[in-house]
Amino acid sequence: MRILVLGTSSDAGKTVIGAMICRHMARRGLDPVPFKAFNLSLNSYATKDGGEIGMGQTFQAWACGLEPETDMNPVLYKPSGGGRMQMIVGGRPLMDIGNGVEPDREAAVRGIREAYGRLSSAHGCVVCEGSGSPAELNLMSSDLANTGLMRLLGVPAVLVADIERGGAFAAIYGTWRIIPEDVRPLLKGFVINRFRGDASILGDGIRRIEELTGMRCLGVIPYLPLRFPEEDSLSRSEGRLQGEDVRQAFLSNLDELLDAAEAGGFDFRLLEDITDEGQSRRTTTRLTTDE
Amino acid sequence: MDCIKKKVNEELQRGWIGSDLACNYHPCHFTGQDCTFCYCPFYPCHDTDLGEMLVGRRGNEVWSCSDCLFIHRTEVCQFIISEVGRLGVTEAGDPRFMDIFAEAKKRFWHEGSALMVVGATSDAGKSITVAALCRILHRRGYIVAPFKSQNMSLNAKATRMGTEIAMAQTVQAKAAGLKTPDSHMNPILLKPKGDTVSQVVVCGKPYADYDVESYYGEFVPGPGRSIVRENIAFLKRHYDFVLMEGAGSPAEINIYDVDIANMGAAREADADVILVVNVEWGGAFAYALGTIELIPEEDRRRIKGVVFNNVRGDTERFRTGIPEFERLCGVPVIGVIPHGDFVLPSEDSEALRSVATMGHGRCRIAAVRYPRIANFTDLDPLFLEDVTVVFAERPEDLDGADAIVLPGTKNTVQDLLWMESAGIADKVRSLRGKVPIVGICGGYQMMGRELRDPEGIEGGVSRTLPGLGLFDMTTTFGDYSKRVVNSEGRMLVGDGGDITGYELHMGMSEVREEPLFEITNNFDRDRVTDGAVRENEMLYGTYLHGIFDRKPFRTHFLSRITHGGERYDASDSRDYDDILEENLERLADVFESNLDMDAVMRMLGVGE
Ligand code: SF4
Repeated sequence: MRILVLGTSSDAGKTVIGAMICRHMARRGLDPVPFKAFNLSLNSYATKDGGEIGMGQTFQAWACGLEPETDMNPVLYKPSGGGRMQMIVGGRPLMDIGNGVEPDREAAVRGIREAYGRLSSAHGCVVCEGSGSPAELNLMSSDLANTGLMRLLGVPAVLVADIERGGAFAAIYGTWRIIPEDVRPLLKGFVINRFRGDASILGDGIRRIEELTGMRCLGVIPYLPLRFPEEDSLSRSEGRLQGEDVRQAFLSNLDELLDAAEAGGFDFRLLEDITDEGQSRRTTTRLTTDE
Repeated sequence: MDCIKKKVNEELQRGWIGSDLACNYHPCHFTGQDCTFCYCPFYPCHDTDLGEMLVGRRGNEVWSCSDCLFIHRTEVCQFIISEVGRLGVTEAGDPRFMDIFAEAKKRFWHEGSALMVVGATSDAGKSITVAALCRILHRRGYIVAPFKSQNMSLNAKATRMGTEIAMAQTVQAKAAGLKTPDSHMNPILLKPKGDTVSQVVVCGKPYADYDVESYYGEFVPGPGRSIVRENIAFLKRHYDFVLMEGAGSPAEINIYDVDIANMGAAREADADVILVVNVEWGGAFAYALGTIELIPEEDRRRIKGVVFNNVRGDTERFRTGIPEFERLCGVPVIGVIPHGDFVLPSEDSEALRSVATMGHGRCRIAAVRYPRIANFTDLDPLFLEDVTVVFAERPEDLDGADAIVLPGTKNTVQDLLWMESAGIADKVRSLRGKVPIVGICGGYQMMGRELRDPEGIEGGVSRTLPGLGLFDMTTTFGDYSKRVVNSEGRMLVGDGGDITGYELHMGMSEVREEPLFEITNNFDRDRVTDGAVRENEMLYGTYLHGIFDRKPFRTHFLSRITHGGERYDASDSRDYDDILEENLERLADVFESNLDMDAVMRMLGVGE
């Protein structure tokens, strides 16, 4: 089983929804494992196997009841100032990039494929997370974690849109429109995140998007004033969740979110169907244009 | 009447003078106005494109010119003077003024055109785009009005006429050089009262409370649409251009038919539309394309350009995506605006809702962030100081604070109850006399001994509750009305410096303390005192919003702060207004050099 959680913007809530899916899968005994092919982040977590990975997958690993390990985040770019970044592959610094130095894409793709392969044979379900928006027309050709991963491994995807700022329907529809046609059929569903108020008001809009795109709405996640450590910057939550408490606080917040999603009628059956479909799809389609 | 005739005769004799910079009231309408005819030679013209007939208290009719800008246009004034010379007219009341008026109106009056700026999300940059366009067009000599049909805002400001409009339109009017923004520019203001109910303020006056369902079900299709139409028509009669700002996203397809804030308003105004997208959060191309394509065909054709806003770093890299975007969507990209740090009032409260601190200065000022905090913009001038504002939601957040601000609230009683249960109330009491504390509006009401709400206006149930007890003051929430007053005056403490501010609140206070200010309101010119002060305990309270804008009170309050054993040095402080003015200029410069202004002018029907 496998699924890719994409976001219509960088802080749409991919990490938290990914963690929620991990938690659900873990509760159901489906042995999930988190995976983010590529991560651009200042904050990393030192894993027990001596590498470093992004904070997002660390939290998701906790949600799965696992120890974070480098395979969960095979490619990491860490800004090191002055427009330069350190490229970390498989938990080890590989090279400095930026200021005209291009990353070693082949090494990245190899790292992603190998890490993913190990995780998927060791676990029941790989919960992948995208990076930024998958519809950046200016970055599309170098994408690794979104359309790049879909093309590389044929992973079915769901799209998370943050409705708090408005424009969520446009974001979902526009992202679907921009995603290249060869991988667009892998977009199976969408999630509307951080909604305040009575979700029934969204009904017409949701149906319209389902008709237009063929994607299915998995559910509407209510806005909860929970404090989750941010994926890209921990600054917002710094001082709020500290030391040993971080893990416990994160998990209890996550359980609260999962309960709220369940109470709000989130379609976990459909979610499991989509992850299952990914399994069969792998054997029936060959989406390996990147090889 | 005779006295006015005499004035007009003097004006005719004096001839064209342009802007009268020496006049104490200049500019009374807009920067750059022509003051040749302070008294209009056409009075009363009875032309309803320019003025209106009012019925006086005793049933008498009075021709009102208060909204007429026509007579303050240079081309009109120069034309009148030249015609008067040509025809040899010397006396006010000469019937030939009728002909001059008819000819002047034919030549120089036309209905203005409208342009709308919508955003793919809230905080897309609509407000600053409109502000930038207002300033650019103002600099080019046009008379421009900002407009937003409906505003969901906790940041309202009182106008000179004693009505209430959103801060965003106030700033845009300032950008347009207008001195008297009024409620036509912001006819519908929604002020959240609880989680689901909003108070609807129409043309500056409280109208009624609606929940989401009744707002869209009853208000919008009923009075809402005609309110929008009438106000746009009004502005078009008086201004060259009406620059409209949308609200939220225009592509909320679940409520599209009842939206009068975006494409619905553009339709009423027959306006072309620019879509602004904030690039910062990613997904900008998708947001733009999705927004345009989800809008029904008959409205979509109004969208004539896309502006990508807030691009950090290399805009060239971003631009590489544009050709494909234009191919997919068919609407040209008319601007890519780099990120800029502009000091402008916070667009809306959402921007501050999620941050823990603002500013990077040495002094820590804790502002209590109640759940129903209002008028965030009161704090904006503090961000220019050597100050970090900490938004306090828990008692610990007040630890180490050098000063405390209790801001305004939409509901004093509910937020005071929250303060008590969160333990913040006791914490504030314990800091009395140790650090300076200032309460503004609702925060000031809380500082009193007692708050009475006999009819449950604030809390839903009748009750009386103790306040923070910092002042000997009792506030009673009497009836469902509020004072909306724009005031100026002076401090009764410190150096007695000038202050300006505005009041809008429910409830009346009985105060048995030294007053803080002496104020004259701009509407009825009453001279009264406001607020309370205990200098020895460093306690300050006032009903006036915007009290930190002018330097005197801000520096007085800050000078009471001791940080690390040292007094706060406020000698570099400046008036917020001057800083705003500089930033509006800078904003306009950035837009002018990164936006296809020719395309904008074409949308406005001007071939420049
Ligand atoms: S409405 Fe304007 S033109 Fe007419 S009388 Fe008044 S000031 Fe003069």
